[in-house]
Amino acid sequence: MNVIEASNLTKTYDGKGGISNVTLEIGEGIVYGFLGPNGAGKSTFVRTMLGLLNPTGGEGKLLGEPIGKPESREKVGYLPELFRYPDWLTGRKLLESHAELCNMPVRGRKKRIEEVIELVGLTGRDHEKIKGYSKGMSQRIGLACALLNDPKLIFLDEPTSALDPIGRKDVRDLMLYLKDQGKTIFLNSHLLNEVETVCDHVSIVHKGEHIVQGEWRQLMMIEAQVEIVIAANSNQYMNQLPEYVKYHEKKNDEGELTRWTVQMEKQEQVPALISSLASAGVPVFEVTPITPHLEDVFMHWVNQKEEGAYVDNR
Amino acid sequence: MWTIAKLTFREIVSKRIFLITILMTIAFVTLYGVAIHFAVQETGPMMSNTMDNALQNKFFASQLLGVGLYFSSFITALLAILSSVSSIASEVDSHQIDTWLMRPISRTQFVLGKVIGLGGLLVMYAIALFVSITLIHQIVGGEMMELPIGIAQMMKAVSIFILQPIILVTLGVMLSTRMTTLNAGIVLIILYGAAFIGGFVEQIGTLMEKAALINIGIVTSLIFPVDAMYRKMTVLLFDTADNPISFAQQGMFASASAPSNLMIIYAILYGAVMLFIAILTFKKRDV
Repeated sequence: MNVIEASNLTKTYDGKGGISNVTLEIGEGIVYGFLGPNGAGKSTFVRTMLGLLNPTGGEGKLLGEPIGKPESREKVGYLPELFRYPDWLTGRKLLESHAELCNMPVRGRKKRIEEVIELVGLTGRDHEKIKGYSKGMSQRIGLACALLNDPKLIFLDEPTSALDPIGRKDVRDLMLYLKDQGKTIFLNSHLLNEVETVCDHVSIVHKGEHIVQGEWRQLMMIEAQVEIVIAANSNQYMNQLPEYVKYHEKKNDEGELTRWTVQMEKQEQVPALISSLASAGVPVFEVTPITPHLEDVFMHWVNQKEEGAYVDNR
Repeated sequence: MWTIAKLTFREIVSKRIFLITILMTIAFVTLYGVAIHFAVQETGPMMSNTMDNALQNKFFASQLLGVGLYFSSFITALLAILSSVSSIASEVDSHQIDTWLMRPISRTQFVLGKVIGLGGLLVMYAIALFVSITLIHQIVGGEMMELPIGIAQMMKAVSIFILQPIILVTLGVMLSTRMTTLNAGIVLIILYGAAFIGGFVEQIGTLMEKAALINIGIVTSLIFPVDAMYRKMTVLLFDTADNPISFAQQGMFASASAPSNLMIIYAILYGAVMLFIAILTFKKRDV
């Protein structure tokens, strides 16, 4: 069953801003990254899915229920980017109130509250008023709220934005733990390395438009770049490379060997290049794929969109 | 719904402004008691037991009770205005509402929870204030301030007295679903002020037998029936209020022009309509 479904979901303000025509389907147990710069419309999408904003077009479902209906949010957790909780409550009282709103059985409430307090590392601080919490602690109590009802789906909107490096690592570990538990996580982030670390699937949004979606590894294959090491006496062949080679550059000489960077259009062209070198009698000592920079990947898809149309790599 | 009501109730109670209000209310009630005490001490020896003086005593007693209840109604209204206009707007502004509304509750339940929480607290406050003022007036005032107020009259009067904060809360919450706290506050205070002035204009119009002034009062009561409920409460409290000598007894803080029972139904419907509009507006609102 799809945990999240959106079909041309649109939320604009007088026809401007927001996010337009998002179509996606996310299955169970997937960590899905919704990647885009600040102001791309990521939070708008999440808030529309959660019924906080009324869509101006299209439709969406959470756990099979149409968005906007309370039933769609029964097994959903949410950590907002702009988190603010009633500061006159203690952390524990906040969780108790959320437990009531989630209709959690009274018998298991206390135990579950203890569990999530421990999970987010707030043990011993839960009886303090939220007023006295640091930003990091507030984010932790927010995470505890999001996980309280043992949700099947968790929306995390920039979950590490307020945290120090240790806190960020804790949250990433928590995401991986939740992934192991079979939870579906929808991660909104502008931090490329955060998305890369934990996400299986990714959507890229830019200026309110859904640019591309698919498996992260596939999206990373924006170009095939390899480093090859050949015998220095074969360097003249590098001026007769096949047409699909877009670019090549000598990196350095290493004694009787020379290191080159070669860029092709597609990953599938790498074996062809090796064959072509071998058939020309060029001794190849080493072939190393070069992983593109995350920023380059992101910009590649943004530029693709500006040149052409939406890319669906699902 | 009940969780939101509980949270709303607890939130107001936890605020410093509520503590200040309670302390100031205690100060007001104490001051009122002291005033009644000295009023009896200063004026008592001057009064003899003639028929004229008995009437004068009743007038004096009802005036003092009327002033106490009018001011009680005023501070209850202020508390209702201040707490209701921010009830939804401020939570939307701060995004505090996000984590509540993403739970499996409907917008209708959220608005009802807010109204029940606020209304419940203000009704309790209004009853406590009404009973305190009336008891202090009757106990501290002794024989001189004694007015023929039975339990049934008290019950009827209180039930109308609490309609004022309920109407204010429903209108305040409705405004809070549509505009910012500041704008909602300004609109509600102006409406309350208009009803307040309209009520006095109507009393003066009745005394002077000027139809235009009476009509102004009626129109303002229809726009915002809070003052009309205060007037109706005094009629029910002093059951002689709509006879010819009652105004002479009660002065400007009672009701020369008694609102009809239909006005009570209108006020209840008014609150219900405001609540309905609040729910409809909030359902459509992006938060």
